[in-house]
Amino acid sequence: MTAATDRVNIIVSRLEAVCSDYIAYVKGWKERTGRKAVGVLPMNFPVELVQAAGALPVFVQESDEPVTDGRNLIYEYYCAYSKSITDQAAKQWLDLFDGIFAVDHCVALLGALDAMRFAMPSRLVYLAQFPASMDEQASVDEVDKRMRELRRELEKLTGAAILPEAISEAIRSRNEARQIVRRLFALRRDGAINLSARMMQAVVQSGMIMDAAEYLETMLELEAALADFPPVHDRKVKLHLSGHFCHAPRPELFDMIEQCGAMIVDDDLYTGYRFVSTDVAETGDPAIALRDWYFQRNVNVPCSTRAQKTADWEGYLLQALERSGADGVIILMAKFCEPHMLYYPELRKTFRAQGVPYLLIETEHEGLALEMLRTRLESLVELISKRRAAEASGQSGIKETSV
Amino acid sequence: MSVDLKTKPVALSNRLKSTRAGGKLVADYWDRIFTAPERGATVAWYNGAAINPLFQAIGIEWCHTEAFGARLAAMHLEGPAQEMSEEYGYNRELCSYARTTLGCAVLAKRDGQANEIELAGMEGEKVLASRLPPPNLFVNAYAGCSTGQQWDEISYRLFDKELPLFKISYPLLWGNQPDAAYIQGEEWEEASRYVSAQILKLIEFLEHVTGRKFNWDQLHESMHYIKQAAQLRVEALELCAARPTPATFFDWVASIAPINFLPGDEKLVQYFADVKAEIEDRIANDIPALPNEKYRMAFDGIMNWNKVGWLADKFAERDVAVISGRYTHTSFWHEPQLLDENDPILGMAKHYLLCPFNHNARTVGNRLLHDAERFGLDGVVFHSTRTCRSASNGQLIAAQMAQQAGLQTMIFDGDVADVSFYKDAILDTRLEAMLEAIDLHRRAGA
Ligand code: SF4
Ligand code: SF4
Repeated sequence: MTAATDRVNIIVSRLEAVCSDYIAYVKGWKERTGRKAVGVLPMNFPVELVQAAGALPVFVQESDEPVTDGRNLIYEYYCAYSKSITDQAAKQWLDLFDGIFAVDHCVALLGALDAMRFAMPSRLVYLAQFPASMDEQASVDEVDKRMRELRRELEKLTGAAILPEAISEAIRSRNEARQIVRRLFALRRDGAINLSARMMQAVVQSGMIMDAAEYLETMLELEAALADFPPVHDRKVKLHLSGHFCHAPRPELFDMIEQCGAMIVDDDLYTGYRFVSTDVAETGDPAIALRDWYFQRNVNVPCSTRAQKTADWEGYLLQALERSGADGVIILMAKFCEPHMLYYPELRKTFRAQGVPYLLIETEHEGLALEMLRTRLESLVELISKRRAAEASGQSGIKETSV
Repeated sequence: MSVDLKTKPVALSNRLKSTRAGGKLVADYWDRIFTAPERGATVAWYNGAAINPLFQAIGIEWCHTEAFGARLAAMHLEGPAQEMSEEYGYNRELCSYARTTLGCAVLAKRDGQANEIELAGMEGEKVLASRLPPPNLFVNAYAGCSTGQQWDEISYRLFDKELPLFKISYPLLWGNQPDAAYIQGEEWEEASRYVSAQILKLIEFLEHVTGRKFNWDQLHESMHYIKQAAQLRVEALELCAARPTPATFFDWVASIAPINFLPGDEKLVQYFADVKAEIEDRIANDIPALPNEKYRMAFDGIMNWNKVGWLADKFAERDVAVISGRYTHTSFWHEPQLLDENDPILGMAKHYLLCPFNHNARTVGNRLLHDAERFGLDGVVFHSTRTCRSASNGQLIAAQMAQQAGLQTMIFDGDVADVSFYKDAILDTRLEAMLEAIDLHRRAGA
């Protein structure tokens, strides 16, 4: 192992440690700084406002713990994320946050937020709902209003005025970190660095938790270390990972995919490219810039939790495949995720029409049957390998797209 | 004389006769929709709130596709639509309302010309699910549920993104501020103004798409009738507080479609006047809904369309009068005092926001306690609706609030339009347990 690889591994292990126990990180940060921490819910929260108030914004993460206490508040047939955050609230783990804020509108997420409010009576649990329909001027005006409201409430909670300069500063530091991570995505896509999917996820997910300055510093350090990181040598099957809203897929799943002879070259996971896809404009009124960021994110990487006539996830995916040269797509869908279930046939239709090999994998909070998945993954890899071989020998016979 | 229990007639409920006329009105409505293409009529497909008076005032046909899904399930004819949606790729855990209706959309799209098709294995049968005429435009007006909103976004895509689509966004009535309560507080007023402004935009959209002038007089007129009908319905609902109750929740389920999407006209008013008159008559003549009312309940959750009659019998057999329901009593123009027929937009917006699934859990719980008080209830039956997260949201919190208030509660597993999610045995066991608990409680009190 080279010194560069060692350095990268050490940095990424630090990030993985933050992700595996985010509550411990927040506790440590609060003790160290004596400042407030605000739990925020995915996927569109403008964290810059919290940062500008001097508090730590943290996207509440799914926990590995089985759902127990939360069962009194939310039914079993909810996605893993909504069940887990409700359970964490019921266990009082989230009381370390000084408040919980959300702007998104997924029906399961709102149910979980309401259950959290019930379970955490001593904390402010605040919804400043952004309209999910992106096509109307009324939505733009409403998001403006909600941003002002958020700012006011965060000022009340933290006791600090949120000044435009502070928002601009938060925007700049977060943009810089996002840009570094996007460069890492580009390097991975081009095969210039052999960064595993597990590592890539730790890089993004830790940015949802860590203090912005500390995160930026770590990203600078990581980028420097990656300059000497080994590139990709072999011609493995290249895959794009798609979907999985709000929470991180289990890293063991990524390991399994890679063990089956594939490499992940790109993704649009929430704990992946989707999260870092879009910068906030650094000129003009920062509040307006944050509003526009909300709308622009869905143009850059469309999301089926939004309703926008002109944004097509499937179109984006075809372009992404073109850009990365991925041979196929693994659609990761959190079980019971309504917005994803509702959109899936549109993706499938496109993949079938375009001859893109794909595999749908549903994930669950507990009990991901990895061994059963292995066979399906191996079949996908085999299908793609056969296609490649056929193409190399000038044949074009394999039309199958799913396994 | 010994009685053979197996052949003993079961005491079933005495359903209202007047609601049958509603069935006829609703069947006529659907027939009008089915024949729209041959009449050259413009058809809007819409989901969610009762925006039909707006379509009435622009002079086009309105097809509440969601209600069609409910109708198919209630008639046990949902199979072909659900099979089609499964073939199209929808997961069984997805909202079965959306699945059923999107299945109809696939059918309508596939056979836009002939309009009726036959499915494999059903040769020779007209498939009701395939009778929806393709739309000319879409309007989405779904409050309280992201799936409801996304559903038309998908319908729009199913029809190749070629048809006009308008969406109304509603904020969930979350209640951040201390003054927030049911139809009170600044958040409520602000949300109402926000939705009103969108309705005015919808009117502009309808004028633009149809090339017609919006007829405000027609809107005032239909809202005048709707307000009258709504007032009669609310008064009749109140009369059911009588002991024993003259009508049950299941009678009110039969009256959902008329108040939800039939035209605002004299026939609608007459229908609810007749329903109210029958209830008054029953009270005057001591005619109860159940022969031996022993327990009084509320039903919380969305309706389970495939099982309405079956559930009605199930409760009646055990002398349980289900009297109120979130779906029937806290929806469908149920606060008519908010409607100003001469200036109806704000009151309409308020009702759209008052979708029973657009409240926070505390409000749901508080409304339930309010109903328990006014109808003298012993307990609450919660329908845990497998594929409807919107109706399921907050139920477990409302159940805790009800228990704290001394009400008995039970939860049964079912679904809005997918019969496979029913667990009959669980319903039986839990219902028995709840009734025993009520008996025990009563004995202790006596
Ligand atoms: S978008 Fe999907 S994963 Fe996120 S909260 Fe909603 S259902 Fe869960
Ligand atoms: S409220 Fe329930 S039935 Fe209606 S769209 Fe949402 S999930 Fe489906």
